[in-house]
Amino acid sequence: MMPQNRMVVAAAALVGAFVSTYLLLYKLGHLGTLACGIDGGCEIVQATRFAYFLGVPVAAWGVAGYLGILGVALAGTRPRFVTAAWVSWGLLLLTGAAFAFSLYLSALEEWVIQAWCRWCIASALIASATFVFSLPEAKRLRK
Amino acid sequence: MAQRQRKGTPPQGAGGNNTVFYIVLGVIALAGIIAIAYALAGGGGTTATDPIDLETANVQELYERATPLRLGDENAPVKIVEFADFQCPGCGVFSLQVKPRLMPYIERGQAQLVYYDFPLGGSHVHSFLAARAARCGGEQQLEGRDAYWAMHDKLYQEQSDWAAEQDAADEFVDYAAEIGLDRREFERCLRSDRFADVVTANRRLGEQLGVASTPTVLINNRLVGGRTIQDMGDQLLTILQEIVQEEGGAGQ
Repeated sequence: MMPQNRMVVAAAALVGAFVSTYLLLYKLGHLGTLACGIDGGCEIVQATRFAYFLGVPVAAWGVAGYLGILGVALAGTRPRFVTAAWVSWGLLLLTGAAFAFSLYLSALEEWVIQAWCRWCIASALIASATFVFSLPEAKRLRK
Repeated sequence: MAQRQRKGTPPQGAGGNNTVFYIVLGVIALAGIIAIAYALAGGGGTTATDPIDLETANVQELYERATPLRLGDENAPVKIVEFADFQCPGCGVFSLQVKPRLMPYIERGQAQLVYYDFPLGGSHVHSFLAARAARCGGEQQLEGRDAYWAMHDKLYQEQSDWAAEQDAADEFVDYAAEIGLDRREFERCLRSDRFADVVTANRRLGEQLGVASTPTVLINNRLVGGRTIQDMGDQLLTILQEIVQEEGGAGQ
């Protein structure tokens, strides 16, 4: 059976990588402002200490994470890796971590920062989608 | 995409018929690269130098969005409200010559200065940007307090220089660095639309209240007049002293 879920994961991860790259470029000062409407929510969120994780901009973690997911998902669409367990494990772990981290960031936005960044929401939705479409990997592992 | 692939393809064929999938990935990649390039070229945001459309005609909403800057104790019995334009010479005189006379009252907690932006625009081409610049300064800290008033004063001190510039943004960035702010962080704020909504709301609130010129000054809701800014300052001080004496005269 064709690993269609991996194709969806790869496409979503590619979109996520661009979203994170956009936020990272802003964080590094290469963009004047974020296209975020006039409520300034994106800039408020990006200006907080929560925009960093372990001393690294969260957006950089996003770029790395999405590229990792993209790489594993792409490999998983190749005939020789269709049944490889490491692909299934890799997707479940990477997308699970991305999903959990997105939940954590969304909770911070709602209850701590009290401002929402549209691009962060977009990334959270993308991370959620990659996780949902990686769930069939658990079934593959059981076979 | 994947849905178009023929059913029953054996696993060993997986990945062999992924042309559509790779085309989709290619389209996403191309669109992403173009969008990032556009943003890097400045299309993702521009320096807001004019009021923006707030999409509200609701006065109550304007009150909520029009955030003034406050100097002094929130519980001070005297509120001095000023509507001012950073490029207006009279406002410069008020800020540099009258405000220092108010400072003892402000520091004693007897008066609070409430400053609303009222960028006139027109020939004051940099007034809106200057209002934003002061607020961008307020995003940073100097000696443990936000740097709004330091940037505010600097802008008025240098008014005659930047007012004559074709593009004042570079001057504002230099001023921010001169007073000790992080140049890069300040510039990032200035070269965006940050505070464009608040400054616009301040201006529109002033219009709703009938402000027609700058500086317009009120003390406990009484309009302060005067032929010159010095006259206005004298009247303001006289009324201020009267109120303070009525309130108990502490510190006089």
